[in-house]
Amino acid sequence: MTAVVPDIAKPGFSFENCRRNAFLAQKGYAVPKATKTGTTIVGIIYKDGVILGADTRATEDTIVSDKNCSKIHYLSDNIYCCGAGTAADTEMTTQMISSQLQLHRLNTGRVVPVITANRLLKHMLFRYQGYIGAALVLGGVDSTGPHLYCIYPHGSSDKLPFTTMGSGSLAAMAVFETRWKPDMDEEEGKKLVRDAIAAGIFNDLGSGSNVDVCVIRKNNVDYIRPFDVANVKGQKQGSYVFDKGTTAVLSTRSIPVDIEDISITPIEPESMDTSS
Amino acid sequence: MSILAYNGGAIIAMKGKNCVAIASDKRFGIQAQTLSCNFDKIFEMGPHLYIALPGLATDTQTVQQKLKFRLNLYELRENRRIHPKAFASMVSNLLYERRFGPFFVEPVIAGLDPKTFEPFVCNLDLIGCPNIPEDFVVGGTCSEQLYGMCEALWKPDLLPDELFETISQALLNAVDRDAMSGWGARVYIIEKDKIVVKELKTRMD
Amino acid sequence: MASERYSFSLTTFSPSGKLVQIEYALAAVAAGAPSVGIKASNGIVLATENKHKSILYEEHSVFKVEMITKHIGMVYSGMGPDYRLLVKRARKMAQQYQLVYNEPIPTAQLVQRVAMVMQEYTQSGGVRPFGVSLLICGWDEGKPYLFQCDPSGAYFAWKATAMGKNFINGKTFLEKRYSEDLELDDAVHTAILTLKEGFEGQMTADNIEIGICDAEGFRRLDPSSVKDYLANIP
Repeated sequence: MTAVVPDIAKPGFSFENCRRNAFLAQKGYAVPKATKTGTTIVGIIYKDGVILGADTRATEDTIVSDKNCSKIHYLSDNIYCCGAGTAADTEMTTQMISSQLQLHRLNTGRVVPVITANRLLKHMLFRYQGYIGAALVLGGVDSTGPHLYCIYPHGSSDKLPFTTMGSGSLAAMAVFETRWKPDMDEEEGKKLVRDAIAAGIFNDLGSGSNVDVCVIRKNNVDYIRPFDVANVKGQKQGSYVFDKGTTAVLSTRSIPVDIEDISITPIEPESMDTSS
Repeated sequence: MSILAYNGGAIIAMKGKNCVAIASDKRFGIQAQTLSCNFDKIFEMGPHLYIALPGLATDTQTVQQKLKFRLNLYELRENRRIHPKAFASMVSNLLYERRFGPFFVEPVIAGLDPKTFEPFVCNLDLIGCPNIPEDFVVGGTCSEQLYGMCEALWKPDLLPDELFETISQALLNAVDRDAMSGWGARVYIIEKDKIVVKELKTRMD
Repeated sequence: MASERYSFSLTTFSPSGKLVQIEYALAAVAAGAPSVGIKASNGIVLATENKHKSILYEEHSVFKVEMITKHIGMVYSGMGPDYRLLVKRARKMAQQYQLVYNEPIPTAQLVQRVAMVMQEYTQSGGVRPFGVSLLICGWDEGKPYLFQCDPSGAYFAWKATAMGKNFINGKTFLEKRYSEDLELDDAVHTAILTLKEGFEGQMTADNIEIGICDAEGFRRLDPSSVKDYLANIP
């Protein structure tokens, strides 16, 4: 159908800068690195559901760009997803899938199963052939019980009872391999997840700060952030407040802001006018 | 060399008590050659909303114009001021649309909630990953130095005067160790009833 | 498509300046099942008749009151299939807004966008206008909203209104019963009474549908709670 009012923004990615950026790259100005999450993310299935865990460090090359970022993303009321890899990709991918799941829930009128979330995610990632750098641990509980998936950036996925992802996955997996067993109770499960994340935090440079934990049960979710502050910042001994006037100022300009009042103007309804 | 360091520039935004501040240097150069010492990198996006766009200068200006366009449309359509969080989300979207051919800017946003006047600071990477911390954000060519200064100087609940000294000293001392930025600086202190803009006296080398 | 150039809108002006297609669409609405919307101080109620032509019909399988997002709901008078298309579009637009601004869509914005879709169908080639009028209710930032959206793309903000069959009587009834400080429970009561005005036969929890929206969000009442409300009706 021809649109009478054309939409302003076209959907989907824009490639308008690609040619310029490729030219710059060829001149020796490489495309800068985006924020990575570095990351240790884990998930286990326990007696009553799923427990997801994540550290909270985001890095830009070797700089810590966020000391307390949130890596466990909401997908729907019964499904959450941990993200590792390019921070913007994990953030946007989970947001988009969350939106699709919400639409699916409204259109079907039932709780969306975890496998649907897995399908949507792997289809999206496969379509972009790994260029969307999102490595995910997907967990949730639906009518068929708890499920845990591990999804790779190229679009493959595993269904596992326990899994780890990200640069700290080896350290975390070492903990799971020694201590995981089926049908653990919740306290035991949370302790295991904490210890696995802590192994990543203390042994992998890309992971750090706190431990976030998300427990998904049949009917409710506990998102505990932070679950454990693994690295407490020391108290400052001195104060570095500068005296007023320390900084030399050339000129000062003050812009007053009038704070607007909110007023409501009721609009009188009219009957629909289709005649002349 | 990174294209983000082609023109140089340094930005900080900090939260205070019922106020926020955002500061930038004023240098515009092409690599080591300085061309201007009065180059705007901070842009007004509303009475209590400012965005700084450090990075490649051409993209600084393009992104500023594209954002202003989208913001104006939003404000006309909804007949209300945008919330800084919604604005950050809008910026994030603009940048992520160009995920595979990005603009070379790393935006820093500072503002107050239009209703509650709650302080807000945030920065995004060049493909739009938002980072919304409780204390301060930095951007530009000397982010290492800026992070160091801010980690040492910032403390919670700074009053507008204290916040001004803290942000200015953090900026001035950080750019002294960066060849690509400096040459003048401008600080915006954003409060509920006024915005104070101060031009700082800096080293010019 | 090349043929698109020659496909013109079916909604064209009559010599007297009327768009008769839109008037026919309104006639379709006025012949449709009645629906009512009332804004109370602490929420909004939508109610509609959902009568079945045969006793063989499976009740509570196809709904007329639908949720658009957590805080917005919708009901219609007119043609069901047209309505479901608009529901789908509205849900998608609400999600798009949420993705761009990371905040829930204001009700007025959603109404404006749905109205834009409806308007587009009065001026585009090869299509007919929608045979529905919508009632859209929402709760934003502590305030209730109620809008009506017509096939022409016109929309109105109401305190209370009725659409569909007998809407004039419904409106007169509401004008008498409405007060500004109505509570949500009373509003549900009034909505049922308004529907009852022109109701043929016995009103039961199986042949009306009610949706309410307040600070908690939008929800469709299940038949048992509708029954409780009906029990209080003389």
